[in-house]
Amino acid sequence: MINLATLPIKNKIRELRFFADEMTQQELAELVGVTRQTIMAIEKCKYSPTLEVAFKIAEIFGQSIDEVFQYQSV
Amino acid sequence: MNMSFREKSIWISLISTLLIFGDYFLNVIALANLSEAVAKTTALELSIRAFVLIIIVEIIFQTVLALNNHKAANLGADERDKLFEYKGNNFGYTVLVIGVLLTLGRMVSLEISPEFIEQFKVLNIPFLTAHILLFSFILSEVVRFSAQLYYYRRCD
Repeated sequence: MINLATLPIKNKIRELRFFADEMTQQELAELVGVTRQTIMAIEKCKYSPTLEVAFKIAEIFGQSIDEVFQYQSV
Repeated sequence: MNMSFREKSIWISLISTLLIFGDYFLNVIALANLSEAVAKTTALELSIRAFVLIIIVEIIFQTVLALNNHKAANLGADERDKLFEYKGNNFGYTVLVIGVLLTLGRMVSLEISPEFIEQFKVLNIPFLTAHILLFSFILSEVVRFSAQLYYYRRCD
């Protein structure tokens, strides 16, 4: 079973939102097509998004996927 | 507490199921003390009342929730909601299968030795097999909702 509390995929969405005119979680959620709570869970590294959502987020910020998400092996 | 539309909807389903069917099963247990004819009529009345009540309560509360969160209601379930739904379904299905197997075991036992029921007069409730199956179903629903809420809370 996946341990949701300690996911190895980290991200810098919070930082990217800040540099994108302080985009809110709600605005990002609407652009991606998920709920604000899902964006919040991704930001806190408590939920790992699917590749589709990860690519969408990276595309919105004009970054490559590995610049937004980093896998940190335990 | 920061809850999504889907999580609020599951809370409504869980609480209404627990209250309505909790009351229903408590009343069903009390039927064991009544005469057979009265118990049968009462059991049917209780079942109809519980099913009508759950439908009305769900419609009212889910509609109010959707009206207050129409944007989220239109969005539907996102990938995280679907993942938690899938995990919840797995737990609920397991409980349901166990309930069905126990019911089958009971039915086979009674076919092999009908005197078995005489030793358990306290369980002399009308439509007992149907009630055990219904209990399994309701329990599986409660487990399904609870598992989903557990994942939402853990992931919040």
